[in-house]
Amino acid sequence: MTAKVFGEGLNRVGVREIVPDVFWLTHCLGDLAKDIYADYFALLPNPEAYVSDRVVDYPFSAFLFRDERSCLIDTIGPAQRESVMAALDYVLGARPLDYVWISHVELPHAGNTPAIQQRHPNVQLVTMRGGDHYALHGLEGALLMAPGDSLPLGRHTLETVDALFVDHGLSQWAFERTTGLMFAADWGHNLHAPARGECFRFLDEMVAHGYTDEQFLEDVKVNAWYQFPWLAWADPAELAAAVDGLFARYAVKIFAASHGNIIRRDMQRYLPLLREGMCQAASMPFPLVV
Amino acid sequence: MHSHVAGDLYQLGACVPGENGHEAVRVYVLENAGQPVLIDCGSHLHRPEFMAGLEALLKGVPPAYVFLTHSELPHVGNLQRVAQRWPAVQVIVSNVMLPYIEIPPVLPLSQVTAVRPGTVLDVGGRKLVFLTALLRDQPGSQWIYDTLTRALFTGDAFGYYHAAGECEAFSDQLPQDISTARFLRYHQNAFRFLRWTQPARLNADLARLFHARPIDIICPTHGNALRTNISAHLHNVQSALSSARTALQSIGQPA
Repeated sequence: MTAKVFGEGLNRVGVREIVPDVFWLTHCLGDLAKDIYADYFALLPNPEAYVSDRVVDYPFSAFLFRDERSCLIDTIGPAQRESVMAALDYVLGARPLDYVWISHVELPHAGNTPAIQQRHPNVQLVTMRGGDHYALHGLEGALLMAPGDSLPLGRHTLETVDALFVDHGLSQWAFERTTGLMFAADWGHNLHAPARGECFRFLDEMVAHGYTDEQFLEDVKVNAWYQFPWLAWADPAELAAAVDGLFARYAVKIFAASHGNIIRRDMQRYLPLLREGMCQAASMPFPLVV
Repeated sequence: MHSHVAGDLYQLGACVPGENGHEAVRVYVLENAGQPVLIDCGSHLHRPEFMAGLEALLKGVPPAYVFLTHSELPHVGNLQRVAQRWPAVQVIVSNVMLPYIEIPPVLPLSQVTAVRPGTVLDVGGRKLVFLTALLRDQPGSQWIYDTLTRALFTGDAFGYYHAAGECEAFSDQLPQDISTARFLRYHQNAFRFLRWTQPARLNADLARLFHARPIDIICPTHGNALRTNISAHLHNVQSALSSARTALQSIGQPA
């Protein structure tokens, strides 16, 4: 594994090339995770699985297409600004960044947009059609995309996908047909263990070092549970049908979630696990303090 | 500019026009016997008037706390300016939030405290209770209940768009209650996940909250305070949530 790493600690960002000219930029805490996430994972119904033998880490990612027109999907957060900007310079060199494609406007997904606009003054923001009051979210002047709309970059074309499972209302997913890369933002992500050397690894590399399907399923489940608290009122069968429909519409070869390790091989092996994880999450208890 | 809601509770902020009507971005302030509490910090778009209104309301008393319902830009857009003006201010967030990356890095993390739902904070002689945010567009969200004014601060929930001319009107100053249709238009934009939710189950939990606590005022960020007919407004929101599922299931499919 070769990752180019910028910064350290709270500002650490690693860069890896998934396939030629498609890059994964990702922040995770590494050795700091055990301290920063101790309380966070303690709120899970089974915290011992995440803070005892297997201390886990939670990444925040962006994806960069280097093509005739370059496009960055999401920006990571302001706390990682210096390293994100260094990583962009590392991949792009003297080329300008043409598009920043925003999945949704939470700070860890879009928080470096102003800094990127300053560095690349001609960059075009891309966001989801169907909202209103875009200026409130710092998205004035953005190119608005609806599901099915395409953004040609050269050898790659990004298609906006109906974001099935969201927190923020103004959300979009993306699919790139040449590579088969599906970007699903907050859905379908695993966790990794820094002490096992899993930071910046692709999922197949984790599997080669002992990460199991059972762990993947459990990770997808608990991540969905705290990412989508509305699952408290959802029907698992409807969710399963939606997942099946998604993968019937798109021939996914690479699965890129914002907060997980990239699945670049054996996609068919993970489809049922993604579906099952979502269904199991909807069957978990959701304690409501009213 | 600020408006008096009830007791020592005030409303600040402004709104923005749009295709759906005006969208308010409110900040609520409890004067709280010399230890003021802000609920959220408003939009960066309204910074000069918000800060001027806050200064005028506080009359030199520094705010003790900012409670963030969540950290989306319209709720933290002036946090940096507030922290610069009153550097000792403490920020309280949901324990599901990761402050180091989800809050703008504009004040020391030692001044940010994450609390669990159910936490009761006794400050200035009043009890403020942090609750599960039943409707939220960010996992790290919370609702807050003030036992003194019986106000429930609901973040993005219970919002509604308003017409030009209604920008400063509380619910009781409008010719009629906020309708189901108005709540629906807002909630289906804010909470796209409602296409998956079974409304009867969601509405039962909402009813449980309103049964558990006496609520006289609902304070949404994206609407003016609802000061009267609380049961009617709850009913209209529940009706909107029932309709949202069907309305949203037709949105988002590729052509």
